[in-house]
Amino acid sequence: MTDQIDVITSEEGETFDIELEADLLKANREIASENHRRMKEYEIVAIDVMGSVGSGKTSLIKSLISSLKRRYRIAVIEGDVTTTIDADLIAIEGVPAIQVNTGKECHLDANLIRKALNHMKLNELDLIFIENVGNLICPAEFPLGSDKRLVVISVTEGPYMVVKHPLMFHNADAVAINKADLAAAMEVNPAKLEQDIAMINPRASIVTTSCRNGLGIRDVANALGLDS
Amino acid sequence: MHELSIATTLVNSLLDFMQEEAAQNKLVEVHVTVGKLRAISIEQLVYSYRILTKGTLLNGSKLIVDENPATLHCSNCDFKDKFELVDDSFHFQLPTLSCPSCGASLNIEGGDELVISRVRMHGHPGRNAATRQFSI
Repeated sequence: MTDQIDVITSEEGETFDIELEADLLKANREIASENHRRMKEYEIVAIDVMGSVGSGKTSLIKSLISSLKRRYRIAVIEGDVTTTIDADLIAIEGVPAIQVNTGKECHLDANLIRKALNHMKLNELDLIFIENVGNLICPAEFPLGSDKRLVVISVTEGPYMVVKHPLMFHNADAVAINKADLAAAMEVNPAKLEQDIAMINPRASIVTTSCRNGLGIRDVANALGLDS
Repeated sequence: MHELSIATTLVNSLLDFMQEEAAQNKLVEVHVTVGKLRAISIEQLVYSYRILTKGTLLNGSKLIVDENPATLHCSNCDFKDKFELVDDSFHFQLPTLSCPSCGASLNIEGGDELVISRVRMHGHPGRNAATRQFSI
């Protein structure tokens, strides 16, 4: 019978609360500011490029490099879960590329960028593109220390990418609506996507692009404050 | 997916915090404030916390998430309103960001917090427990 009786033993001590104000994103933010300061010392402009897997981030960066490399000394930090495919593609353009593999993480964080900067000859650079891991959600939460944030979406992702991922667009300085040459085949109206973006973020510059025929590449550069 | 990395930061911070606590003190509850605009799934955060705390000093402690609202503010005519969800069919959706009163674009204030706000302990409070500073 005794094993059916709940025995409450008195515990020593008491329950008490401690008020805290510990910001969980502070560490990342501080490293991001440090990255930013460090790049400013060398007068480097840094662009964080974000967007879904397959939206054309690497292709757009390649197109931007070929239209900008006469004016700027450029390097690229390539973020991926694994492989050096993107860094290899960038290297074809003749600019230094560093691959940062996150292993299992879905986003780059400021600490990974700090490490990447340690491997770069900053005194030989004017412009750094940081290609984030393909993902429209997580990278929005982790600033890296860049000057501008460019979000790349493509018409092949369908008509709802913007309304489904508003936060990513809310913080963007520029948005490229890519693969415009496929819009008719996809039956997606880029003007509607543009409208969706403007509703969430009226400050963002929006450019329709195609890396195949060069549409809008210069306009993206201008939207980012770069002279092409 | 980033809930796991946020939970890892949270658990590591709390383990650091516990190092300064008396050995017999036990952490029972932690309150984290998450802004409404943070793309964080509370369910996944709580789940990650439970897994990560297993076998540690924090084993059995409970993570309680308090949501913090966001406010809409028009810098042109000073219109203010509570941020409301437009549609619950997705995670969340931002409202039209133009002022209903004057048409200028609206700013969103707050709603981006991610803060450990309070811990509930069991044991003996130290002399400075109520005012203890803690940084990550």
